[in-house]
Amino acid sequence: MRYAKIYVDDLQPGDAMPALVKPPIQQIQLTRYAGASGDFNPIHQDDAFAKAAGMGGVFAHGMLSMGFVAQAVTDWLGTGRVHRLSVRFAALVRLGDVITCRGKVLEKRPSKNDGDHAVDLELWAENQKGEKVVTGRATVILPSRE
Amino acid sequence: MPIQIDTSVKGKEYAPFTVTVERGKIKEFARAIGDLSPFYLDDAVGRASEWGDIIAPPTFAITFRDEHADTNVVLRDLGVDIGRILHGEQEFEHYRPIRPGETYLCRTRVSDIYEKSGRSGPMAFVVREMTVTDGDNEVVCLVRSITVVRL
Repeated sequence: MRYAKIYVDDLQPGDAMPALVKPPIQQIQLTRYAGASGDFNPIHQDDAFAKAAGMGGVFAHGMLSMGFVAQAVTDWLGTGRVHRLSVRFAALVRLGDVITCRGKVLEKRPSKNDGDHAVDLELWAENQKGEKVVTGRATVILPSRE
Repeated sequence: MPIQIDTSVKGKEYAPFTVTVERGKIKEFARAIGDLSPFYLDDAVGRASEWGDIIAPPTFAITFRDEHADTNVVLRDLGVDIGRILHGEQEFEHYRPIRPGETYLCRTRVSDIYEKSGRSGPMAFVVREMTVTDGDNEVVCLVRSITVVRL
């Protein structure tokens, strides 16, 4: 359930994050993300430029895919609770690709803040062929029920 | 012939700059990702939340840049054309949510540059670290980026 309040007690190592399936990547989304983020690298907008650069055509901002991964985490565990989020961009995301974000709980441990717990997640995003385009980790701070 | 990059940029610190977070930019950023959480988009939901306002998504600090510096100043210092770069890795470490109306001080340095050979030939990895602090000099967020340069 989206935006529900989740407690550390509700999670166990190995639990799967609900998959987040994003709509197919369209050029307009890359243009919109460029404007919103300030990253106007033409390699994400101009097919001729991207081809001349040897990239075979435009591809999505890595940061857009990282935004998807962050959304998958916050849809599940709530906004404002992500302490650490780190990713590696493993493969290019092309126009038309359908990105699915997945993850699982690695471990739970007490956090420095009284009463809160840190939950470590393994995360990845894959395209419609099942190829990993992003791999990463997150640490989310959650309260416990008592 | 692989290109040469200026590795003397390693260790360079850039002039600190401030950013004031605009409410509309947070919403524009969330919508561009397609993340329609009311905690990013709905002022009333934000006001009623534990933070007292809307907050920014976890990757929003990527938008923090020095408006008074040349765009891509690091690439210029390295001597690299924008068509040669790829985003290799990215990390955010948050100590509290980013909120609209707040002004932050951002300090950026190039912490490392190293070269490796990959599947597609020689590459340089440029590691940048940005520290974002608030008016009380408390750290709000640390941002670490690795840019890959196809040499």
